[in-house]
Amino acid sequence: MSTNLIDTYVSEIGHRLPRKTRADIEAEIRSILQDMLEERSQKTGKPVDEEMTLEVLKAYGAPEKVAATYQGERYLIGPRLYPIFITVLRIVLIVTGILAAIGLGVAVYQTTLTPLNTFETIIKAFANFGVSMMIALGNIVFIFAILEWSLFHAGAKVDLKGLQREKEWDPRSLTKVTSTNQVKMGETIAEIVGCFAAIVIFNFYPQIIGFGYTTNGNWYVGAGNWTFIPLLSEAFFKFVPYLTLVWALTIILDIVLLRMGHWNTVACINSIGLKVIGIIIAVVMLAGPSLLAIAADNLIASLGDIGAAQIVLAYLSQLVRLVLWLAIIVGSLEVIKLTYRLIFNRELPLNIPIKK
Amino acid sequence: MFNNTYHLDILYIIQYNAVNGDAMTNESFENVILELRRGVIVMAVLSQLDKEQYGYSLINGLKEHGLEIDQGTLYPLLRRLESQGFLHSNWRIEADRPRRYYVLSDEGRTLLPRLKEEWTTIVSMMKKML
Repeated sequence: MSTNLIDTYVSEIGHRLPRKTRADIEAEIRSILQDMLEERSQKTGKPVDEEMTLEVLKAYGAPEKVAATYQGERYLIGPRLYPIFITVLRIVLIVTGILAAIGLGVAVYQTTLTPLNTFETIIKAFANFGVSMMIALGNIVFIFAILEWSLFHAGAKVDLKGLQREKEWDPRSLTKVTSTNQVKMGETIAEIVGCFAAIVIFNFYPQIIGFGYTTNGNWYVGAGNWTFIPLLSEAFFKFVPYLTLVWALTIILDIVLLRMGHWNTVACINSIGLKVIGIIIAVVMLAGPSLLAIAADNLIASLGDIGAAQIVLAYLSQLVRLVLWLAIIVGSLEVIKLTYRLIFNRELPLNIPIKK
Repeated sequence: MFNNTYHLDILYIIQYNAVNGDAMTNESFENVILELRRGVIVMAVLSQLDKEQYGYSLINGLKEHGLEIDQGTLYPLLRRLESQGFLHSNWRIEADRPRRYYVLSDEGRTLLPRLKEEWTTIVSMMKKML
């Protein structure tokens, strides 16, 4: 009976422990409990019985408490990443809020206002905002949890390196001039979040890039049939697998860079390679067929007349060209910066002279 | 009527502060003392593991020296010191059941005299201050 009690107690502790160390810790606790029982039995001159076992288990502590002592502190998002997490979250929530407010404005403007549908429009807008916020929050927590796991959970070595870096911290790094080779944590994490968002949106939610209307002319509410006009054409979606590959590789490279803490030749070459592929994709997109799926005819139903539809369409196609040109220019500047770093891979001098 | 309630409220607040204030102070005292003991425990454990010992014999040995350590503190600490390379452990069957024995590793043997040195410095420094 007492052996059964010990078995149950030990397995209660065991299933709260990581699989890797479970068997070893279970064996150790079992051995300690037997030592305790033996000692008690010798002291009291009584054989080990159920009552004695219960006393020993009580002294050893509740299983969840004992298991917790072996676990140490565990974080989903630890203290090092938390400030950046809050910053990213704040930005994303503000942007989501602004987009929701614009959506509500458009919906109210397009709706023939009656007390009932105004109320319905506002309620739906708030519901949409709530859902978008939850999705954004979930995705950001997911990304940061992966970063936490890959950066700090990897083992004591990463921690020790981090501590050594803190020891060598130079107050002069507070000035604007920092080492060119140092990986900028904020920028890199922003890039990871951006790439992740792009992968998720273009691969899993392409329907949010476009707009819908109903046959009675209302964009958000109304009893008519819902029609959805996708903004981007099939020509665009043919590029998505290539873009996804570039974004995924960028995320991997960023995580590696965050772990290393500084740039090296291999990272530079890989980064240049990814940027060049990105530029090539943008050039091919610019030269290829239209990336927009909508024609003026589609827009008449919601905008009213052909003139307005053509103007909107012209603006949209100019906007697409502008975005692609920006991607090419920014990408090229990055390639030049990285090439410079690769060739002149040395630290920039600091602008505060040390007085001895 | 209003005044009576008001006075009662004040009394209650004073009483609440007195009771909980004491509890908080005691808890804070305990925490500070625990913080102080934490570093010493590592040194005490390492000092006893020149010769190999199993967990329960170590806890009893420390108790004989006047240092009572909670089991929930000692066993995880032994594992941590082993993973840091300061201890070695091995399982041995004794009287038909397994026991885990811990002993200082080479790194642990290098660390211990340095800890002793540090401890002596701290004690003489604190004696001057207190």
